Amino acid sequence: MHHRLIIASLVIVVVGCWTGTIGVWRMREPTQALHYLSLPATMSAIFLAVVVLLETGWGSTTAKTILICLILIGTNSVGTHATARAIRVRQLGHWKPRKEDGVEFIRKGSKT
Amino acid sequence: MNIWLATAIAVGGCLIVCTDLCLRGSVERRLVGLELTSMLTTILLVLLTVGFHRLPFIDLPLALAIMSLGGCLVFARFLERHL
Repeated sequence: MHHRLIIASLVIVVVGCWTGTIGVWRMREPTQALHYLSLPATMSAIFLAVVVLLETGWGSTTAKTILICLILIGTNSVGTHATARAIRVRQLGHWKPRKEDGVEFIRKGSKT
Repeated sequence: MNIWLATAIAVGGCLIVCTDLCLRGSVERRLVGLELTSMLTTILLVLLTVGFHRLPFIDLPLALAIMSLGGCLVFARFLERHL
């Protein structure tokens, strides 16, 4: 049972990483691709902490893995926001919305 | 070869796609690819640490997880203003 839980958690880690990677790869717009970063940052990181806990028990390794998990979750949101802001400023020249912006985050000529 | 190393190989396969993301396309897309790469590398290092039974090396992915945020923010700021 213990071994099966470890294998199942590791499979979830791999599925989260691959789903996020393919999602980022397939999305046309960078702002759309940013959404898929959350899969490895949350699902894979949480199950990785669980599987390290199951493998090594409570100790410094598990504590640091949980810390890594929390850092990944926290920094992903900050990094995603900073990147989305940078993309918006780069494309529009400003950060705050204006009336003349029209439909935001959709480039001219892109298929919806 | 144990289950941890097999998982590390499976996760490492994602880095091939990340290479394509970082080398082709627009600058914005490359930055997203870089963020994904740092995240996957952190997970990969944890898997390798447990897979090779070198538990003190868990500090490496911890340091990478902390440092990658700074790199991401610096690149995002350069992308916003200078590139």
